Amino acid sequence: MHSIRQQPFKTAVLALVWGWLLFLVLAPNLLVVGASVMTRDPATFLSLPLNLDAYRQLFDPLYLDVFLHSLYMAAMTTLICLLIGYPFAWALSKVARQRQLLLIFLLIVPFWTNSLVRTYALKLILATNGLLNKALLSVGLIEEPLQMLYTEGAVIIGLVYLLLPFMILPLYSVFDDLRQELLLASHDLGAGRLATFVHVIVPLTLPGVLAGVMLVLLPAMGLFFVPDILGGSRNLLVGNVIKNQFLDARNWPFGAAASILLTLAMALLMFAHKLSKRRLGEEGA
Amino acid sequence: MKKLALAGLLAVSLTGCSSEEPKVLNLYNWSEYMPQEVLNRFQEETGIQVVYTTYDSNEAMYARLKLLDDSAAYDLAIPSTYYVSKMRQEELLMPIDRSKIEGFDNLDPELVNLDIDPGNQYSVPYLWGTTGLAVDTSDIEGEPVTAWEDLWDERFEGKVMLTNDMREVFHVGLRVLGYSGNSTNPEEIEAAYEKLTELMPSVRTFNSDAPRMPYLEGETDVGMIWNGEAVMGKDTMPSLEYVYPQEGIIAWLDSFVIPKNAKNPEAAHQFISFVLRPEISALISEEIGYATPNLAAREVLDDEVANNRASYPTAQDMLNAEFQTDIGDDALQIYAKYWEMLKSGR
Amino acid sequence: MKTWLPRTYLTLVYILLYVPIVVLVVFSFNDARTGYDWGGLSLRWYEALFNNTAMVRAMWNSLWLALSAATVSTLIGALTALALHRYRFRGKRVLNGMLFVVMMSPEIVLAISLLALFLLVGLQLGYVSLLLAHVTFCLPFVVITVMARLSGFDESLPEAARDLGASDFIMTRTVLIPAIMPALLAGWLLGFTLSLDDVVVSTFVSGPSYEILPLRIYSMVRVGLKPEVNALGTLLLVFSLVMLMLSQWILIRSKR
Repeated sequence: MHSIRQQPFKTAVLALVWGWLLFLVLAPNLLVVGASVMTRDPATFLSLPLNLDAYRQLFDPLYLDVFLHSLYMAAMTTLICLLIGYPFAWALSKVARQRQLLLIFLLIVPFWTNSLVRTYALKLILATNGLLNKALLSVGLIEEPLQMLYTEGAVIIGLVYLLLPFMILPLYSVFDDLRQELLLASHDLGAGRLATFVHVIVPLTLPGVLAGVMLVLLPAMGLFFVPDILGGSRNLLVGNVIKNQFLDARNWPFGAAASILLTLAMALLMFAHKLSKRRLGEEGA
Repeated sequence: MKKLALAGLLAVSLTGCSSEEPKVLNLYNWSEYMPQEVLNRFQEETGIQVVYTTYDSNEAMYARLKLLDDSAAYDLAIPSTYYVSKMRQEELLMPIDRSKIEGFDNLDPELVNLDIDPGNQYSVPYLWGTTGLAVDTSDIEGEPVTAWEDLWDERFEGKVMLTNDMREVFHVGLRVLGYSGNSTNPEEIEAAYEKLTELMPSVRTFNSDAPRMPYLEGETDVGMIWNGEAVMGKDTMPSLEYVYPQEGIIAWLDSFVIPKNAKNPEAAHQFISFVLRPEISALISEEIGYATPNLAAREVLDDEVANNRASYPTAQDMLNAEFQTDIGDDALQIYAKYWEMLKSGR
Repeated sequence: MKTWLPRTYLTLVYILLYVPIVVLVVFSFNDARTGYDWGGLSLRWYEALFNNTAMVRAMWNSLWLALSAATVSTLIGALTALALHRYRFRGKRVLNGMLFVVMMSPEIVLAISLLALFLLVGLQLGYVSLLLAHVTFCLPFVVITVMARLSGFDESLPEAARDLGASDFIMTRTVLIPAIMPALLAGWLLGFTLSLDDVVVSTFVSGPSYEILPLRIYSMVRVGLKPEVNALGTLLLVFSLVMLMLSQWILIRSKR
């Protein structure tokens, strides 16, 4: 062990980062936990008696319904991202090295454009007088414009569009690590294509799948501006509920409790991710 | 040396570029509720820059003002009647110094000294307006729409728009059932909620940012709208009609208030006086289609606007009209609960 | 193996990803007012954009915020990554874990917790609150980027430097910093875009004294179709593309 005097640099750096994290991450989160067990107060936002009313309210059939619907939309988003992203990442990992870099670059470019503006561009396409309806009408596939904007489907499309790269990138990195020899070995051992897929590829890519699910599912519950723009202030996400409680209805304990719900969901997903990686590690060893 | 440079950079980025700021008036207002020209002319004349931030509901405005109370973020806001009395009673407002306000006497005597703020100690009327029915006549077939009740008609399924405003939406529900739109009776509110749930499958979207837009965009054909929005909408889409429903229109008055901790109350007073000038009030009414409470302004108003029934209703139109009043926090909580249930129900 | 199938599939997904962006760019030059119809080429929306003083102010505010947030988070993040890489210390795993949690946290959770903190300590919502919030959510990304570079780093160099009597600080400055320069740049750029794009956190921790672009855009798109937004989106796209290419160019140059 070195003393402070010997390593002023180390001490200073560690103090800085620890200070930052304690003050701007740990303390605020503890505040939220504190807020969730306090009582709503119209004048000062929060007041004492401590109680669990806010958590009880979470299981109020009304909010339970909102949360389940939000979870459903987030789950659909994740599923669609996975269905599109899995074969995409696989196909991507088979492309020649030099071109892979360019393709990944192209995948990231949209992500560098403002996400609000991109959501808004979807509105141009999905609206009743929008481009998609116009195109479908002109080729005669439909006779009446479809109602797509301000629906649950529009919210899901918006979320998929914004979050797809976050599913593809971790999947790509596991496919990239997937060694060709393993697949060949499996083939040599007489496994068919399907068997190779189920017994070799799926387990090996599971950590990537879980990382992707984590990166998509959590934001898909929080991105409140997507229902605002594409969902017609209906089809709310947990994020909308939290935002309304803090910025409209002034029910902080309830908003805080809803946010803790999200944190718990995150913890659960992180645990699953860790577990899958560890299991893979043991099998590999 | 490099270490010093880094420290300097850090210091600069932490303090930002806040050294010399021009005089600023932070106006917190509904979206599209003040023509840019008025702000420009005010700045030209006084050198005070107006920073215009927007909200889409009284609740959001109130919550944010409370939230930022101590940091004195806003100098001027424009709540509706019932929030004026709520904020006044909660001592969130600064008294308005009448000696610094020019042109107060031009205001319609019927719209000053109301119960919400006796003697107008805390508020100065800005605009008044109505919430009625919008009908896109080019897309509607059959019987004309004349009443709130008509929104429940099956032919409008998926084509109805409501404002994203708790009090207004419940006002409609209550009036359809024959109750007062300012009801504080929990049973009546619940009945209105039940009635409105029947409407929900028809409701396409809620919008209080710019209620004319869903009609212009072709997403909705019938529903609620503010009169000024209807006037602005008709400019781009002539088939958009404003209808005074049989059950009675919703009427409201929006007033300037100065938050208690405003940083620049001088500028706020200046701005109120500026808006009270007849030519400025007239300009505002002409541009955004709401009615000015300024009688001197009505004298100089463009004839076309002054005779526009959407902006300036006749006595006939106002027959069953009901002004929104303060209903107290208890009743508001009941409304809020049913409002959330209404919006989250699918 | 058939190669046309994966190739077609890749192309299809890319088309879907780029259609909205192409629509955005094309419509930014559309003369028509209503938004959905084509009314000929025009630059009127770009003109309208630059005549909108509130918008231009928000743009400068956003750029300044992104610049400072990226710089501060790169400084702190790089130092943190160095510490995590070089030193053993108590709580290292906790530190790592905390950074990971920040990265994974839904933005809205971070947003309300920071709002609660700022209100409690009485910090006025504005530039400083935005900066603190943005640095916090950028930090883990910088740490990860720099850590990735450090793990591929030849350990013998700093050892040699230390053997020659260099202190930690000198060694860091003369050996490590040049070696991780590309990662610093990448981390800075990531922070810059994250900050420029953030809506969720900024909604909660900003005040009227410092209005930023994403919030301005948010209130515009909520009002309805605004062709100015197309123009703004196109400008932002071009801007970030230039930034990206510039960084690639610097990276390639630095490798030589």
